Amino acid sequence: MGKYKVKLDVFKLVKREIRIMLKNFSIIYSFSTFFLIASLIFVFSVNDISYVKIFYKSIVWIVLIFSIMLVSENFLNEDFNDGSLKELQFLGFSEESIVVSKSIAMWVMIMIPMLFLVPFVFVFFQITLYELISLVITLFLATPSLTLISILSSLFSVQLKRNKIIQFVIILPFFVPMIIFTTSTGTLFESNNLKENQFLILIGIFFITLPVCLMAGRLIMREINK
Amino acid sequence: MIFNLANPLRFQRLIEKIEPITLNIAITLLLVGLFFCFFGSPPDYLQGETVRIMYIHVPCAWFSLMIYSIIALCSIFSIVFKHTLADLISRSCAPIGACFTLATLLSGSIWGKPTWGTWWVWDARLTSELVLLVIYLGLIIINNAYEDKSKADRYSSILAIIGIINLPIIKWSVDWWSTLHQPASISKFSSPSIDPSMLLPLFIMTFSFFFFFISILLVRVRGEIIQRKIEVIRFNRTV
Repeated sequence: MGKYKVKLDVFKLVKREIRIMLKNFSIIYSFSTFFLIASLIFVFSVNDISYVKIFYKSIVWIVLIFSIMLVSENFLNEDFNDGSLKELQFLGFSEESIVVSKSIAMWVMIMIPMLFLVPFVFVFFQITLYELISLVITLFLATPSLTLISILSSLFSVQLKRNKIIQFVIILPFFVPMIIFTTSTGTLFESNNLKENQFLILIGIFFITLPVCLMAGRLIMREINK
Repeated sequence: MIFNLANPLRFQRLIEKIEPITLNIAITLLLVGLFFCFFGSPPDYLQGETVRIMYIHVPCAWFSLMIYSIIALCSIFSIVFKHTLADLISRSCAPIGACFTLATLLSGSIWGKPTWGTWWVWDARLTSELVLLVIYLGLIIINNAYEDKSKADRYSSILAIIGIINLPIIKWSVDWWSTLHQPASISKFSSPSIDPSMLLPLFIMTFSFFFFFISILLVRVRGEIIQRKIEVIRFNRTV
């Protein structure tokens, strides 16, 4: 019975988050624009396009991490400021279901614009179709962990009135393994040296990130509402 | 007995007795250790005199991990039992751990130049140790970011618990990936690949660093206790 309640809670909360997200369409627009402009800045900073072709994965992932972190702040700050975060807890939704629902909604919010942005990456970075496929697969597998970590970083900084940069400082080290494994998986895929366990590593990272983020999210949310 | 001492005031009294003793032991061991490092141990057949950097580097690396483990344990203790002393210890440990980690990276870098031919390589062990330094810096920042110290303590405890993931990565990075950094040579008790003449100064330096760490930790914890007392007095005056 409890298991079904959690599923129902998550479903209800995801529905709520997506409804809010669709109302604030500007977030998706800002995310897409930021991603595009930041990627272009890298292209403009390099004179020789062959370098961009070499480093496109790193550029895409770095820009993606920063854009996700900037967006995640919007996801939690508004709920914290208008009191709905507290209200959701009073209504009996568990902290874990709130964190999971926010992550799912954020993942949807990232993946929809990314599907439209990927063709731009294909054109701007002059990559092959094969490289594009590898990028899309790694994006699908690694972004769930990225969104979970970003939600956690926003939870850390939600009560800070100033010095919001802290959220980047404390959480960026946890992105290091993600960056290493996603870019190496992409490179191995392109060079046809990929073994299936490379993709499993990305899935494995998600299954490590999920319980850790849920536990930490629960503790932080309890602290926030004290 | 332990729970009796876990009272900050009793602990402060204990610190005042223990701290000078630990500092004296640390200084004595450091002097003896340095003598053995420079005069009592031979140069390595391959690395030459640069091997002496290891007598600083290896204990620093051990302590960078050990101090993080202490922070993590205190954080778990703090979250479960909400004990002030656990918060004070983990808050005091963070800068010391950061210094040991920085010393590890710097001494490793100085050793790496003549041995590997480079100051730095993006090797799994070095990278994970660098990540540890960044986590320490994050803990220090978070400890000072919130006006409410109890809130800062809770948040830094949560961050410290998340950061535990990095410890096994550092420890076994040399086994999991093919790295330039050599695998464990001292903790391998079955067949230690280090000569006893080099093992002795290494252990003396390790014990010296241990007592040095304890002594600094005690001073910092005492400082934190006094600071909290001042805050309470100030708060009572305003109320």
